[in-house]
Amino acid sequence: MSESLADGLAAGDQTVWIDATPFISQVCEDLEVGQLINGENFSLFEAMSALEIMDPKMDAGMAGSGVATLDDAIQSGKAPINLTIAQLIDVMDHLLACEASWHKGHSLSQTVFSCLYLLDVERTSSNALLHSYCRTVRALCSLTRTAVSSVHSNEEEDLFIAAFGLPLEVEGDGKCLSKLNAVEEGVNRQLKGAKGLAIKRKPAEEVEPLQEDPALEEGYCRAILCRLRFRKAFYHIVTNMTKPQGRGLDMAQKYIAVALSEMKNIQKSADFLSHCADGIAQNEKTTASGREPIGFDPKVNRSVSAPTPPRSINLLTWEETTQYFIKLLGDLEIITSLTTSLSLEELFQVLVDFQKRDPDLIARSFLQLFLVQEEKLFGKDSMFDVLHKTFSLSETVKSDMLMSDSFVVKSGQLTLYLVRILCSNLSWQHRKLGKILSEWGILLQQGDALFENLMHGTLATLEDKESWESAIMGWTAEQTCWICAQILTLGFQLQLYAPSEYCMIYWYLDHALLTELNYRHLKERKNPTNNEPSDQTNKKKKRSKRKGSMKVTEEELQLTPQTLLLQCYIDACKGLSWMMAALTADGKFSESRQTIFNTEHERFIQRFDLFQKVPIPQPLSYMHYKSFTVQRNISIKEQYLWSREYFATLQQHLQDLGHCLAKSTNLSPICHSQRTTEINQLKQVASRNLIVLRILNDAERGKTLNVSFDFSQHPFFAVASVKKV
Amino acid sequence: MGIHDELGSLAMAASLEFSNTKEGGRPLKASVKRCHQLLNRSMKVGVSDGRFFIGKFHCLDKQGNIILYDTLECRPIHPSSTDVDVHLSTRFPQSKGTVEQRNLGLVLIPAKCRTSCLVEGSIEEKLTLLSLQEN
Repeated sequence: MSESLADGLAAGDQTVWIDATPFISQVCEDLEVGQLINGENFSLFEAMSALEIMDPKMDAGMAGSGVATLDDAIQSGKAPINLTIAQLIDVMDHLLACEASWHKGHSLSQTVFSCLYLLDVERTSSNALLHSYCRTVRALCSLTRTAVSSVHSNEEEDLFIAAFGLPLEVEGDGKCLSKLNAVEEGVNRQLKGAKGLAIKRKPAEEVEPLQEDPALEEGYCRAILCRLRFRKAFYHIVTNMTKPQGRGLDMAQKYIAVALSEMKNIQKSADFLSHCADGIAQNEKTTASGREPIGFDPKVNRSVSAPTPPRSINLLTWEETTQYFIKLLGDLEIITSLTTSLSLEELFQVLVDFQKRDPDLIARSFLQLFLVQEEKLFGKDSMFDVLHKTFSLSETVKSDMLMSDSFVVKSGQLTLYLVRILCSNLSWQHRKLGKILSEWGILLQQGDALFENLMHGTLATLEDKESWESAIMGWTAEQTCWICAQILTLGFQLQLYAPSEYCMIYWYLDHALLTELNYRHLKERKNPTNNEPSDQTNKKKKRSKRKGSMKVTEEELQLTPQTLLLQCYIDACKGLSWMMAALTADGKFSESRQTIFNTEHERFIQRFDLFQKVPIPQPLSYMHYKSFTVQRNISIKEQYLWSREYFATLQQHLQDLGHCLAKSTNLSPICHSQRTTEINQLKQVASRNLIVLRILNDAERGKTLNVSFDFSQHPFFAVASVKKV
Repeated sequence: MGIHDELGSLAMAASLEFSNTKEGGRPLKASVKRCHQLLNRSMKVGVSDGRFFIGKFHCLDKQGNIILYDTLECRPIHPSSTDVDVHLSTRFPQSKGTVEQRNLGLVLIPAKCRTSCLVEGSIEEKLTLLSLQEN
């Protein structure tokens, strides 16, 4: 029984550490089974949250699995500075994989900072290549992190920006590029030297080769060069894309092209490197050579992150890493092709189309950074100016009264918020759109107050007032319908609906889209904004009257691609909802059975309660829906016929849309390509559903066939398939 | 000890009622009473991999598992790693190298990995403790 000096006890205390081991043993013997020694502040429930020592899931400081700290690792030789070139390339590749894994949502401490060299970059200063590369990576990660956190999109991905006190922000990293340039120069010279040797010419200067085997020198030089150049290009891309008001977008576009070509070179180098690799290839390799890299320990930061050790993660493989960066560069390129002169309507369309590419966090953050800065669109247009342009009001209207009017201010705020929402991921969008819908509804209701003020305040004539009213209120109504439609279609893309609900969703979606279309027609009749040739209108035939729609002859309209697309959506909704209602009545849609948990009425309320709170589109009740689905006066056969007619109309409109698209010149490239893809998808939807309808037409009534729906052709319009029962 | 006694003890533990003098009708043993007085005292528990935990004594059970609260984990970092040095530095942390510390909060140290257990006390207590063990 020996005593040690008191450790952690206050000085001056007359206390010592007393060995209590034998005492404790005695106490344990004397205790009854199940008896505890505990005070009054003890609770079994709280005690369950205690960290159990020596349990690998709870004890982060447990020795035995790798090293505990950086110093231990360095001392045990896990991070040597003098690496061979092959090893250095492995480190670079693995670091790239770590960076991609971080982008995908893992924490910095387990990815980028599992690199022992990055944890103490100064230590690597004797190895110029390693040092400059590490500094650039660190600077890049710091910049990326700042960009993402400044748009507050980290609400979706909290783990991304947490740095856990790791050395991410370091002075002087802004100058890392000069060092990188210097080493690139050096390797360039070595490459020339190697090439000179290859054709038996003496090199101009005596350059020290990178490694021993002269036959491999050229290959290694190229491999290093393309990696260095990729890093440089990526750094420039990030610095340019974070410049305000999109000033750096053109430069960024150039660097994206450079980065993509260097990435191709990196991919090509994999053959050479794996050929030279003398080690056994990893199962899921994270490097081009297939070897496991030196200098990484995923557990070295265990004790830094939290009391409990983080769950182990799988880093992206080499293949996945290269694919990730290629996709990221593609998404960033789309952003660089945007201009700051987009109208609001075009912007929304661009955002919806961009999201169809399923962009990752980094791309979406840069997009939002470009679009919204300091409460201004593109960092330069105040929302008042944007709305003024959107409403197409005459210049005389620009008055202080209008600018400070609360309606205008509010709609500016809501529109900007809408832009930000559309930059976030789909689930977040769905949630946020639902939340702001009621705000837009309030805006609609408050509109009257605005015009009262205007009447008294400015010298508006009655005609002026009416035209502004219809322009402004019409725009607000159209936006509200658009949001409703967006919420409903997102539900399909997020797979939120049961098959039994498809019919009612399409039915309501049709209603929302139709209302939106009406407002668009009104607007376009007043202000023909597009410049389509007017001879196009002569090609149109009069369509048969659609149920519940406004009778609008198309000769009067000059159709834009957006309007035509809306029309196509409406046709598809009608076709599908009629088909599903008929199938349910016919007993062929087995999945439309009601569940035991709630009735169809309750489900209707759950789905559309949100929309009952806004005046536009006009709220529809369950009774309306029932009267649609029951259709007592129309036979099932006739219902199938109606559905066929709508799909046929869809095909016709798709053709029109194709022609319109070919003629339109002012559509941005992403919109153009997305429209083309979507036309093909919708064509498939129409044709397949028509085939099924033909089968159904000839089949017997009743449960002879089973029809199911899937979304194999289009993200939110279903396609039917038939099976014998 | 019959089933009823066991159940009685368990029920007593679960209901958190605690009587200093009696439990289930039986008087507490002296050591158990003495141990109650050690609750909320600073305790330093050494663990088999060389770390030790300094925290306030919260709970002890018959199997010898100890719960501490406001715990500090101390990991001695020593230049050499021979067994002798590890042994020494667990007992004399200030004599060899530095100690890496982390705050952990509520911690349970299973009896299986516990290597040592020291309690903060005055010099007189040390003698009392000695006398208790000799009983």
